[in-house]
Amino acid sequence: MSKSFIIRDHERGHDTIRSDGTRSSYIAGHPDGFVTRASSFNFHDYQSGRPGFGPVRVFGDEIFHGAGCGYNMHPHHNFVICAFVFEGQLTHINTAGEGMVDQLRAGDYYVFSAGSGGKHSELSVTSEDMHAIYLWLMPRQLFLPPTYHRAHFDYRRRRNTIVQLVGDADTALPIPQDLRVSRLMADAGRSFTYTLRSRGHGAYIFVREGSATVDGVALGRRDSAGFSDRDDPAITIDIGEDDSDIIVVETIMIDDDNIKAWEHDHAGH
Amino acid sequence: MNPEPFMRLMCLGCGFSYDEALGLPEHGLAPGTRWADIPETWVCPDCGTPKHMFEMVFIGYAEGGSDLASAA
Ligand SMILES: [Zn+2]
Repeated sequence: MSKSFIIRDHERGHDTIRSDGTRSSYIAGHPDGFVTRASSFNFHDYQSGRPGFGPVRVFGDEIFHGAGCGYNMHPHHNFVICAFVFEGQLTHINTAGEGMVDQLRAGDYYVFSAGSGGKHSELSVTSEDMHAIYLWLMPRQLFLPPTYHRAHFDYRRRRNTIVQLVGDADTALPIPQDLRVSRLMADAGRSFTYTLRSRGHGAYIFVREGSATVDGVALGRRDSAGFSDRDDPAITIDIGEDDSDIIVVETIMIDDDNIKAWEHDHAGH
Repeated sequence: MNPEPFMRLMCLGCGFSYDEALGLPEHGLAPGTRWADIPETWVCPDCGTPKHMFEMVFIGYAEGGSDLASAA
């Protein structure tokens, strides 16, 4: 039986985290820096939403405000962390392998697989707000060697086509999971089809800008929907406004007891 | 002999993993320490996330990963 859900913009977990008090060791940019974060799934203090989608545990729509704002150096294991930058400039520093300092601007994105362990810091060093979407997912294996890859999405040249940024397509960034992230920047009246790889795959579709009708569901800016266990692998995306910007996360729907338990407890919602 | 298979759990704050079979000798938990026997007040040694925000996972180790995990 085909399953779907909708998460409206306001239903996400909305947090403002200031670089003050004990939080200043976590949030950089003291005293004026603050991060605004809208979480699609349970994360930190936000625990009233869905636990995740397949292996995805975090889909965070974040803005770093103020020069120097971001996250100070902190450790990770195992999680694969992807960042997609839309505005401003992100300085990413990690200790994977020989270490890496990277500058990402609008259209740039990375995949950081923390594997056997690595620290990272995420900083906006200009006065412009830095807007990025962060995706965290469970890896295929624990304690993999840490890796970092990055690339650029040129929206001027890749309009009105679904472009796979992360996954197994040619030139997509590799990721140690059966998961693909695609981006679609498109104009009003255009229609697209995203075809799922198999019955075991699902798609989480997030409308970052503009609007779209996805599989018959009208989604506005920052609304999203998830689709899984479908009879028909084709998901139709009808674009409502010019310059709409859609993110599609297709993933194997790992049999997840926690997510199933949550769905059971929230049946009918 | 304990019939229950050993569990692996992952911290949802940072990805740190706890493996019952391996314990965390560096943090005072001997190999074979069951998750249920760790105090509820225990927090992730890397990020401070509380015990109840760990999730059980069924993910195998990469080559050499279990040696690294037992020394974490
Ligand atoms: Zn942790």
